[in-house]
Amino acid sequence: MIDFVEMSKMVETGKVKVVKELVSKALEEGASASDILNKGLLPGMNAVGEKFKNNEVYIPEVLISARALNTGVNLLKPLLAAGDVEKPGTAVIGTVHGDLHDIGKNLVKMMLESKGIEVIDLGVDVTADQFISTAKEKGAQIVCCSTLLTTTMPEMENVVKEAQAQGMREDLFIMIGGAPTSDEFCKKIGADCYTQDAASAADAALAWLKEKNA
Amino acid sequence: MTSRENYLAIARRQGYEYMPVHFNMCPSLQERFEQYRKEHDLFIPEGPSHVGALPMICAAPEEFEKFYEDNPIKAGGTIDKWGVGHEPGSKAAFHMTYMRHPMENFDSLEQIQSYPFPVFTPEGADRQKAQVEAYHAQGKAVQGGLNCSLWEQAWYLRGMENLFCDMMSEDPMAEELLDRVTDVAVAQMESLARAGVDSVYFGDDIGMQHTIMMSEELYGEWLKPRLKRLIDAGKAIKPDLIVIYHSCGHVNELIPQLMEAGIDVLNPVQPECMEFKQIHAEYGDVLSFHGTIGTQSTMPFGTPEDVREMVFKNLDIAGKKGGLFVAPTHLLEPDVPVENVVAYIKACAEYTSR
Repeated sequence: MIDFVEMSKMVETGKVKVVKELVSKALEEGASASDILNKGLLPGMNAVGEKFKNNEVYIPEVLISARALNTGVNLLKPLLAAGDVEKPGTAVIGTVHGDLHDIGKNLVKMMLESKGIEVIDLGVDVTADQFISTAKEKGAQIVCCSTLLTTTMPEMENVVKEAQAQGMREDLFIMIGGAPTSDEFCKKIGADCYTQDAASAADAALAWLKEKNA
Repeated sequence: MTSRENYLAIARRQGYEYMPVHFNMCPSLQERFEQYRKEHDLFIPEGPSHVGALPMICAAPEEFEKFYEDNPIKAGGTIDKWGVGHEPGSKAAFHMTYMRHPMENFDSLEQIQSYPFPVFTPEGADRQKAQVEAYHAQGKAVQGGLNCSLWEQAWYLRGMENLFCDMMSEDPMAEELLDRVTDVAVAQMESLARAGVDSVYFGDDIGMQHTIMMSEELYGEWLKPRLKRLIDAGKAIKPDLIVIYHSCGHVNELIPQLMEAGIDVLNPVQPECMEFKQIHAEYGDVLSFHGTIGTQSTMPFGTPEDVREMVFKNLDIAGKKGGLFVAPTHLLEPDVPVENVVAYIKACAEYTSR
C-alpha cells in the first residue's frame, strides 16, 4: 500500500532521504509517475506554498521542501519525459534587462514547478526580446518578469511592448513581481498579473492555465 | 554642540541642534550631483567621519579560481578577498554585478575548514586609532565600517539556498561557516572599538519586502547568538559604542531579538516595508533609527516637495529628543533626480533652523 499522505508530509517537512526512499518504493510497487507526482509530491509542496503565502513559514522551509520535491521528481524524470504526465503549461521566467538579482525569481520558479508547470529559466539581465522570442519558440503560455530595482521597472513595459511587436500579446499571460512593483504598476504598463509573493504567483499562473485549457 | 556631541545626542535621544545628512550615490548620480554643486551653493550639514576596516590578509585571486573550475567566472568578472566572484551584467546593469559563490558545490565540513578565509592584520590598528583621534580632536564623530556581515557574508560564500538548507538540516557545515565568518567580523569589531570609534555600522539583510526572511526560531537559533557575540565583543572594549544595524526590508518581528543582541540604531526602516510611525511608537524610547526616506518610492519618484515633507514628517515623529538620523534608505540609484538629493539635504539643514 503506497502512503501518498506520508510522502506529501515528507516533502512538506523537507526530508530528502525519506522522499527518495518512498518514491523508489512506490515505483517498485507499480505506482504511476503521474500518481506519485500529483498525489504524493506536489500536494506536499503546495501545502508549504499555502503556509508561505500566509507567513506561517518562510524561505528556508520552502527551499528544503523544494529540494525534497526535486529529489522525488528526478527519480520520475525518465517516466515524465516519456509523457506519462500531462503538464498544465509552460512559463518563461527571468529577471529583466539591467537587473542581476535572482532570489525572488528563483522562488517563483520553484513555486511554479511545484504546480507541475514547466519552467524555462532565462536567468538574470534578460532582454524583452529574449523573453518573447523564447516564449514563441518554446510555445510557452506564460511570461514571468522579476525586478528588484526601481531603475529596471520600465523594462517590464518593454516586455509587454515586445509581445505586441511580435504578435504574441494575445497568446501570453504576462506576470510581474518584485519589491518595487505593484498591482497599480502592472495595470499601468498593461501586463496581466501582479502578485505580492511567489506562492500567489504560482496560484495565479495555474488558475489562468486552467481557465485557458478549460 | 560639536558635530560629535550632536551626533551622539541624536543616537542617544538626548536632544540635538541640527540634523546631519547621510547618503550614498551611485557613480552616475554622483557625477550629476558634483555638477550641481559646481553651479550652486549648497550647505551640507556634517555627518560623521568614517573610518574603514583594517586591511585583510587574504589569498590571491588565483587561489580561489579552483572553486570555479566547473563554471568559470565570466570574462570581466573579479574575485574578492573572500573568494566571492562578481560578474558584470549588460551595460544596463550599471555598477551592479552578479554574485558567484565559491562554496556552492561543497559537500563536506572539511572543505569549509580548509577554505582560505581572510584574516585581519593588526598592523593597521595604530593608524586606525590615530585617524579616530584626529577626527575627535576636530570635534567630529567617527563611524566605523565593519566591512563584513555575518549572515550575508556566509551566504555570499555558500549561496543563500544552500546555506538555508544547511541551517534547516542542522548541518555542521553551516555552523562552521557562520562561526568562521563571525571570527573575522569580531576581530574587525574589536579593532574599531579599541581605536575608539563612536559608532559601528554593519548589517545583514534579514527582511523581504513584506515579511521577515526566516522564522523567528531559525533566526534565534542561528544568527542572533552570533550577532550578540559580535556586539558583545565591541561593547566589552568600549561599553558606550553605538551599534547601527542594517537590514533591508520588513524586519518588525525580529526587532526584539536584534535589541537583545545589543543593537542601538536600526537602519534603514524602509517605508515601503515598515511603518516608521508604528515602529517608533513601539520601540522609540529604547531604540534609535537611521533611514526612513524611501529609495523605492519618494527618492526616485517623488517631487522635491515630497522629499522635504517626508523628512519633516519623520523628524516630527522622532521628536525633539532625536533618535532618528533621517536619510535615504539605500544607495541612491541612477533614476533619482539630483533635485531630490538637494531637497533632502536642504530639508535636513532647515528642519532645526525654521
